[in-house]
Amino acid sequence: MNIETNEINGATVITLGGEVDLEHSPQARKALLDAVANNKKVIVDLSGVSYIDSSGIASLVEAFQTARKNGGAFILATVSDSALRVLQLARLDKVFTIAATVEEATA
Amino acid sequence: MRSDIEADAIISVSGDRFGDHLELLSQMSRDFAETGDIEQALLNGLKRIAEYMDAEGGALFLLNEAETTIECRACVGPVDITGLTLPTGQGIVGRCVDTGAGEIVRDVSKDPSFKGDVDAQTGFRTRSILCAPLSVKDHHLGAIEVLNKRGGDGLFTPLDLNMLIALGASAGLAVVNARMAAELVEKERVERELELAAQIQRSLLPSPPGNDFPVSAVNVPARMVSGDFYDYFTLEDGRIYFCLGDVSGKGIGAALTMAKATSLFHCLGKAIHAPGHLLDLINTELAETATQGRFVTMAAGLYSPETGEIVLANAGHEPPLLMDRNGGFTTVPAEAPPLGIAPGIAGPEGFPETRHKLDGGAVYIFTDGLTEGYLADGSEMGVEGLKDRLRQTQDAAPDVRIDAVIGLIHRGGAPLRDDLTILVLDDKDAIGERPDAPHKRPNLASDEDGDWLVDIRLPTQPVMLKIIRRVTEQSAKLCGCDERTAKDIVIAVDEACQNVIRHAYGGKIGELVLSVSKNDSNMVVRLRDFAPPVDVSKIKPRDLDDLRPGGLGTHFIREIMDQVDFLVPTDGEPGNILRMEKRIG
Repeated sequence: MNIETNEINGATVITLGGEVDLEHSPQARKALLDAVANNKKVIVDLSGVSYIDSSGIASLVEAFQTARKNGGAFILATVSDSALRVLQLARLDKVFTIAATVEEATA
Repeated sequence: MRSDIEADAIISVSGDRFGDHLELLSQMSRDFAETGDIEQALLNGLKRIAEYMDAEGGALFLLNEAETTIECRACVGPVDITGLTLPTGQGIVGRCVDTGAGEIVRDVSKDPSFKGDVDAQTGFRTRSILCAPLSVKDHHLGAIEVLNKRGGDGLFTPLDLNMLIALGASAGLAVVNARMAAELVEKERVERELELAAQIQRSLLPSPPGNDFPVSAVNVPARMVSGDFYDYFTLEDGRIYFCLGDVSGKGIGAALTMAKATSLFHCLGKAIHAPGHLLDLINTELAETATQGRFVTMAAGLYSPETGEIVLANAGHEPPLLMDRNGGFTTVPAEAPPLGIAPGIAGPEGFPETRHKLDGGAVYIFTDGLTEGYLADGSEMGVEGLKDRLRQTQDAAPDVRIDAVIGLIHRGGAPLRDDLTILVLDDKDAIGERPDAPHKRPNLASDEDGDWLVDIRLPTQPVMLKIIRRVTEQSAKLCGCDERTAKDIVIAVDEACQNVIRHAYGGKIGELVLSVSKNDSNMVVRLRDFAPPVDVSKIKPRDLDDLRPGGLGTHFIREIMDQVDFLVPTDGEPGNILRMEKRIG
């Protein structure tokens, strides 16, 4: 799995790539929580996620809940098919704010 | 001068006699305790009072419950007027009860308000009257009257009045105590009888059977006695009769009808082996002696362990739930009215029956006390809430499932709204032993589970999950799965392996064997670990609100796979087998 953090238009964009599984999700969790602590607008680019499991989803949820508590925005962008499938299984596809592209989210 | 003397006399008299008041009170209370008879205690008390007052005669009147008349309940002296009733407000004694104030008519010959009516009747010659109320705080109970002081000039003094008022207060207290004691005794008697009724009721419910018996049930009464019941017993041919019912209304009346209904079921069921016909007969019997519009809702069924089939009949009862092996539900609504309303109410065909094949599933029958019960968050459990809970605990033992459901109803220290009753009939264990069932189930724990494809043995480390996912995806495609199904299976197997990695070896690294086989049109994945057995009842797919990793994963597994089983290995080695099956194509 690879993680990239960038700043676009004042928002933090975290790009997750590869397989976010039990082995790697702790790193993803840390990166997400750091971003949410430092910026009121966090976008997660999931276009490169070929696999994500329940622990990966849980990290997204934790970051989302923390952002909400701090009054910040937390947006998922370009959700890959694999990621979307797992979000649907967890019935979270209607819970998160999902943008079609990162551009849309940073606008 | 005279007033000083009088004042001193009052004080000394009061001082001396204070002890006497307490003595009187304790005497009257003792009298009551000894005889249990308030009348006797009043008479004895009056005698003592008359003695202290040195009076020729006296009478004690008590107010009736409607507070309209006073009745003489005790009398001493040459004339007996016990039983005499006077309206309140009339006469010296009547006024005394009304006003709650003592009265003295020192010399009746000088008092125009004195009416000689009673004297005229009794022949007694009243010269001097004292009257004091019997009251406790502001509650007027009655009055005491004493007549004609002995000795001296035969006339009472104001001192005497004070004395009588004080004595009257003591007597009033004794009367109140006696009444309260009598009420308490009665209340305890009623409670003892209720406890006895509850005991008898419990004995009418079947005793918990051994572990292998397919039926389990529980009844939690809201009060001492219950209107709900259940019963089950085995016929000679091995079939099992079961029923669950709810009598309308509450309390002793419902409990008595419950006793009749459950006895009828138990007795008639031994001869009548069709549930619809059985309910019809019970209906006729109950309708014959039904009172106060009482009726009984009831669901009854006959289960055949050999075939896994049940025949059900439902008379107006909350629809039983049939749960299949995959957690799907069917409800069996009532096609007939409750029992006990009128004979023949279900028509000439009798109570309708429905047939179902359980195929390893289970039947749940319950009363609406359960589905209308409140959860901790204040909402009603509802049928959907019940189904969710049953799905979550599907693999646990029946009594664990029952506890899980009953445990949801929030008591908050208050008594239950309604009785909680539930019965479960479980076909799971029996299904393995059916020789000629249409789908012959393989012995799931054995290694022969279809055509073998892959066995891999790995250490339980997160880094291995990549390999597991690749192997699973390719194996799924080999079995003929399409892209989407293959990816789903990968998710399920990955989550299952995560559970083993996280929990099986208590954090240490152990061994995991992943086997894939193709079984008819199913793909079968088995995960074998070698750790101590897992308590299945403690693995619950959590509510999606609780998103700790692991809980969500179990939910994924059940969503994706068609069948999930926890099995005990039969190869003699310790550990667990998780078997997952997915239909292909």
